[in-house]
Amino acid sequence: MRIGEIIKLTIPVMMGYIPLGMAFGLLAASMAIPWYYAFFMSLFIFAGAGQFLALTLFATQATLLEIGIATFLLNLRHSFYGLSMISAFKDLGKAKHYLIFGLTDETFALLKTTTITSDEKARIYTWITALNQSYWILGSLIGAALGNIIPFNYTGIEFSLTALFVVLSMELYRKHPSPKPLMLALLIGLSGMVIFPSDKMLILSLSLAAGLLIGLRGWINE
Amino acid sequence: MSDTYIVLAIIIAALATYATRILPFLFFAKAQPGPLMRHIEFFMPMMIMVILVFYAIKDVPFGEHPYGIPELIGIVVAFLMHAWRKNALFSIITATVTYMVLVQVVFDSYM
Repeated sequence: MRIGEIIKLTIPVMMGYIPLGMAFGLLAASMAIPWYYAFFMSLFIFAGAGQFLALTLFATQATLLEIGIATFLLNLRHSFYGLSMISAFKDLGKAKHYLIFGLTDETFALLKTTTITSDEKARIYTWITALNQSYWILGSLIGAALGNIIPFNYTGIEFSLTALFVVLSMELYRKHPSPKPLMLALLIGLSGMVIFPSDKMLILSLSLAAGLLIGLRGWINE
Repeated sequence: MSDTYIVLAIIIAALATYATRILPFLFFAKAQPGPLMRHIEFFMPMMIMVILVFYAIKDVPFGEHPYGIPELIGIVVAFLMHAWRKNALFSIITATVTYMVLVQVVFDSYM
């Protein structure tokens, strides 16, 4: 497979990653986070919703423990991608380490839907992952630069996060439509907002959700 | 926000993200996921996202002007646009622009 064909494969991801990366960069700039930190985040974290969440946590001066737990829980879905890539990544040598690091939702979807002969696999997989990450980094840098150069009232741009969470909730619900877990999550979120102390709301609500999801498994699957 | 805090926070976020990706390769290279794992896999991500919506608006002062109205309208716009077009980027941009107009122009004492 030639590089041109590989680039063509990744165009749908490019269409998503550049604007979303720009939104991330803009948001970081609006929070007075220097451009190089936005760049390092896209280079070393490389997770869409995870990086947006990180910005929110930075802004509220969350503790390092909270950042670790919240990021881990939010990105836990990536574990399930890894599970179904174990055999595909076997015997790929050194490339495997970068492929595992770069296993985002979109990269996973592309790798899973691309059929490749085994001798080219390491090269093509690495190119796909690296191209995807370069779109993400490029978008972040453009966004961070725009935020610093163009004088504009960005008040309220942080709402893009709330909107992102609403949209992702709907997307995830559509994947496994089941009203009971949704009702539980709405109840926990609402009461958590009212009852739990603001600085511990996320950790307490997520733990409660995990506990109830497991404890009420029989009722949910009725 | 100090530089030390940001650098440490980025390292922690990077490690936590990487952990979620390397975990199955470390522990499940041979085993197959059971029904409990599948149950969590199905519903936990959606529950996390729903809770994050509330987390994002938890510090909104609902008891004083403008009573969280911009946030509620923004969320409704995101929901309706996404139910209508199913285009994530379109829904997010429309809702964010609506919200920015509301807090900057309509309810400008909010700033």
